[in-house]
Amino acid sequence: MVELSLPAKWAVRLLAIGYVFFLVGWPVITLTQRTFSDGLASFNAALSDPDVTHALLVTVEISIWAVIINTVFGVGMALLLVRYQFPGKRVLSALIDLPMSVSPVVIGLALMLVYSGRYGWFGPTLESHGLVVIFNSPGMIMATCFVALPLVVREVVPVLEEVGDDQEQAARSLGANAVQVLRRITLPAIKWAVVYGVVLSLARSLGEFGALKIVSGNLTGQTQTAPLVVEQKYNNFAQNEAYAVAFILVAISVLCILVVSLLRPQESTS
Amino acid sequence: MSIEIRNVNKRFGDFVALEDVNVSLPTGQLTALLGPSGGGKSTLLRIIAGLEKADTGTVSIEGVDATRMSPQKRNVGFVFQHYAVFKHMTVAKNVAFGLEIRRKSKGEVRERVEELLKLVHLSQFADRLPSQLSGGQRQRMALARALAVQPKVLLLDEPFGALDAKVRKELRDWLRRLHDEVPVTTVFVTHDQEEAMEVADEIVVINDGRIEQVGTPDSLYDKPANDFVMSFLGEVTQLGEIRLRPHDIEIALTPDLAGSTSADILRLTRVGFEVRLVAGTDEGQEVSVVTTRSHARALGLEEGERVWLTPSSGAATVPAMKSLLAG
Repeated sequence: MVELSLPAKWAVRLLAIGYVFFLVGWPVITLTQRTFSDGLASFNAALSDPDVTHALLVTVEISIWAVIINTVFGVGMALLLVRYQFPGKRVLSALIDLPMSVSPVVIGLALMLVYSGRYGWFGPTLESHGLVVIFNSPGMIMATCFVALPLVVREVVPVLEEVGDDQEQAARSLGANAVQVLRRITLPAIKWAVVYGVVLSLARSLGEFGALKIVSGNLTGQTQTAPLVVEQKYNNFAQNEAYAVAFILVAISVLCILVVSLLRPQESTS
Repeated sequence: MSIEIRNVNKRFGDFVALEDVNVSLPTGQLTALLGPSGGGKSTLLRIIAGLEKADTGTVSIEGVDATRMSPQKRNVGFVFQHYAVFKHMTVAKNVAFGLEIRRKSKGEVRERVEELLKLVHLSQFADRLPSQLSGGQRQRMALARALAVQPKVLLLDEPFGALDAKVRKELRDWLRRLHDEVPVTTVFVTHDQEEAMEVADEIVVINDGRIEQVGTPDSLYDKPANDFVMSFLGEVTQLGEIRLRPHDIEIALTPDLAGSTSADILRLTRVGFEVRLVAGTDEGQEVSVVTTRSHARALGLEEGERVWLTPSSGAATVPAMKSLLAG
């Protein structure tokens, strides 16, 4: 630890708190204020709009699917990356981080190029078999999975590395098969990392905007999600409703963060 | 023979871990795989357990060809250097693991776990988590866990390597007694020659991926096959053209014995009951000699004194060869 003089300590604290306050705190507080500036009126208006409630339901549905898929594949890929040696491993590892550095809009466009029913590389084939990907739930789930891809993997990988494979080898030598080793040894060991990854990807999935705006087609009452409704209401001068929906999204995210911070200490004692 | 290893080769990239290894490990005995770190002994143990696959060669356990068998089918107990405890399970659950995998009835599992915990003196810790145990206790729990499934062979990879000297000594004695009580064929890896000599019925000395010698502790100590085995099992010095142990050199004040070499005592140190001295021969060779304190006193040995050195009769010797000295 670096020893600082008392004034320097306070200066550093003020700087850190000020930075977070002006960047995050103040805007969120203002948003909350605006949402409740006329009591629950704008809230009620938003929730009585069928387009808004539908958009919230779509968001929740897409997010849950994306989180389930992302968790299964995330844990699987983390196991693959940590426990096995294979050619192309570093490429796979780099690809998993790609969504972090690429704008979601680009991801949306890329998915369109492959799966669009009209001009996509693969889309027409799928559509002729009755599977509409773009402007439909499958495409939206794919886009959400894509942006949330690294969150589970990057939580689980370091924990798997730290735990090592001694326990798994011991279980195998005691007669456990692959499924039993996974269920009884590996999963309990990475439990908290998975929970943390799930919460993070849920928060990320609920808030996804750019990729979804492109692949969903933003069809009001059909494929429009909550973040898209916020933008539409805001542009259509229904600002109070926009604030209300935005507040709901913020509230869910804060709840996610709260859950995580409650889990964290348990993780260190277990 | 319980474990038969035939023509086993194993490489990790360019590194040759095992080179054409052939060895038979007898049933019901406690065998030590002894050798320096990186010599291939752990790799051999892991190949027996199925945790590692040999590039070529075969392994058979109790007459069954196990070369291509997965570890869970081999019915071997494996104990790891760092215990590999199941951290999220209680001590009793850890021991019960193999039995539950085998779908034994609850009553049977409970009975067997109780019996095993008693055997390893951990009965009062049954409901604790492994993190609440000391290193020695964890390793005893790991042993009980491995024994629970009544393995055909018990394999231990540097089982006491992570423990401090005192606990290591205790566990070593305890393992010997346990093996006398539960005579399952046991193979353990160690780089500590004292540990191997004290505990094992038979020692397999492995170095550079090859087996140097197989034999009882006594035969290895008394009749080492080569210079490596000799120097690995204890102190070695050179007198003339032979290499032998410092305590196998007799000291005399007169050149009475045939073939004795004259030398001057350069240094003399007393360590407890023994006296260690370094004598310089006329050819400039420095020879270490160990003798008892009473013998040194009887002769009145002092630094600078002229003595005559002779290999004692029946001493284990190997010819000194330059190429072997390099290794």
